[in-house]
Amino acid sequence: MSLEAPGSSASKPAQLPEVLSALDHAVSRVNRWVMLPCMLALLAAAAILTYSVAARYFFKIPTEWQDETAVFLLIGATFVSGAFVQSKQGHVGVEAIADLLPDWANRLRHGITETLSLMFCSFFSWKSWTLFREALHEGFTSNSTWGPPLWIPYLLMACGMTLLALQLLLDVARRISVKNAGR
Amino acid sequence: MSGATLGFTFAGVTLLAMFSGMPIAFALGAVAVGFMSVFMPGVALDTVTQNVYEEMASITLLSIPLFILKGAAIGKSPAGKDLYSALHAWMSKVPGGLGIANVFACALFAAMSGSSPATCSAIGSAGIPEMRMRGYSPGFAAGIIAAGGTLGILLPPSITMILYAVAAEQSLGRLFLAGIGPGLLMVGLFSAYAVYRYRKEHASAKQAFASHGATSAMLDDQVYTLSEKLETLPRVLPFVVLLIGVMVALYGGYATPSETAGLGAVLALALIAVVYGIYRPSQLTPILSSTLKESTMLMFIIGMSLLYSYVMSSLHISQDAAQAVVAMHLPKWILLAAILGMVVVLGFFLPPVSIILMTAPIILPPLKAAGFDLIWFGVAMTIVMEMGLIHPPVGLNIFVIKNIAPDISLRDVIWGILPFVGLMALAVLLMCFVPGIATGLPDWIMGKP
Repeated sequence: MSLEAPGSSASKPAQLPEVLSALDHAVSRVNRWVMLPCMLALLAAAAILTYSVAARYFFKIPTEWQDETAVFLLIGATFVSGAFVQSKQGHVGVEAIADLLPDWANRLRHGITETLSLMFCSFFSWKSWTLFREALHEGFTSNSTWGPPLWIPYLLMACGMTLLALQLLLDVARRISVKNAGR
Repeated sequence: MSGATLGFTFAGVTLLAMFSGMPIAFALGAVAVGFMSVFMPGVALDTVTQNVYEEMASITLLSIPLFILKGAAIGKSPAGKDLYSALHAWMSKVPGGLGIANVFACALFAAMSGSSPATCSAIGSAGIPEMRMRGYSPGFAAGIIAAGGTLGILLPPSITMILYAVAAEQSLGRLFLAGIGPGLLMVGLFSAYAVYRYRKEHASAKQAFASHGATSAMLDDQVYTLSEKLETLPRVLPFVVLLIGVMVALYGGYATPSETAGLGAVLALALIAVVYGIYRPSQLTPILSSTLKESTMLMFIIGMSLLYSYVMSSLHISQDAAQAVVAMHLPKWILLAAILGMVVVLGFFLPPVSIILMTAPIILPPLKAAGFDLIWFGVAMTIVMEMGLIHPPVGLNIFVIKNIAPDISLRDVIWGILPFVGLMALAVLLMCFVPGIATGLPDWIMGKP
């Protein structure tokens, strides 16, 4: 298995246009801020599930909200930290052909794959916002007896995917700037 | 477009997207959305996000980040080193005991952390230098650790098995138990090979000494006193208690698999706080951040793989492909060999999670029709995917070993690992002849299905 962080050359310092450079600062700041709630969400999910075992066996309290709360916390942490992981080149890809191609072809390849990733994530975040709006207006709830509102996880998914799309946009912009600087 | 053409186009585009180097998660998602927009009614695109959410919002799948948290807590503490020193001290009397100690340490650590690379780096960073200092050849030392590390996806709680259980709709508890027998078999095979290889290297060291006085560290005996041995125990016992405690919670019926993940993570964090004093936010941040990094990457791949399989099945590609395989009427064992061979090849490039989720809808129906027990197959498939983790030229564990011991040449590492790949293949073969190695334990504990 040859799994590597693709496009590591994209992380070379490059002069971004002013607007994008401001966006870059904003996105990296948000990425740093959201890590704390994501970490706390992980710990909270672990604690809630542990409480669930204890509640059932020691206090004989029926457990109904724990699993779903843990799901919301973990799914939220997953989507919201997606952009952070991308900023660390943590979404792995198959880099088996990287060594076979000349440099220029690899740069072109990274440019194409990053643009396609950006298109996919933009589409996904757009559809997540639509889903969120629908869930909020129609009052969707989950099917369980507890039935928490679904706009909460949908909102987290939409925010996370938007942040990820912005991160990918910056990656693409950085690559274009590197190319222009090279000329 | 005919069913077959559509299937081949789908497979071709997937391969192209994967090998383009696009992150696996986005590649799978983009292929799925692309085919949806061309071949499915427009309204299908409106449900993409809801689809991904509903597939992912399963507490069984979301136990994965918590199992990773448990592993990271153990992995980032000195527990691996302590476990290793204890086993080393207790096995010092056995010929080849150091090699066996490394195999055992890998197996125990793998069961606690659930991660192959984490096991390789935790046990290997103590084990490889020690084995080399004691005269073991570098390749042999690297092979033991790389192979021992793969036990992480076979012994419970294995993330790979969680996904298989979800994809194949099999009982996770049963699958976890089914991994134990083959896991122990492999520990036995690896240990036996370690002793054999030790004797061979020991004999040649002895011969070299007799013929031209060349001394080797292998000829020195290291002796531990009983009190030295006992001193190693207190630091290791809590982790063994954690391991057993989690198993009892799961199989004693006290906790569901996902609750076990939460409980395991909380216990692991509590133990490293008590035993190693790791509790300050500055110490916990790296653990939580590396957990998020790994689990988010995995959960994205999982979510998008599920979308990918949904599209594959909505377009009838998986059903058609499965039917085509069934219609070939291959003899049972040839079918199995062909499927496992394909898994080995995929394992060269793809992580186990994507292999399982992408291939399950196609390969499982023919296997079921041929009369294979899907729990048994899950274990066989897992061992074969482990081979991919260490198989030259591109196994993940090889790179971990290169990181720990950069001075061992890649050639030595690969030659050291190959015999272990053979032993894994032997384990799968033995399982074919004696299926009870895998299914015996779950049948005994949970009753026949």
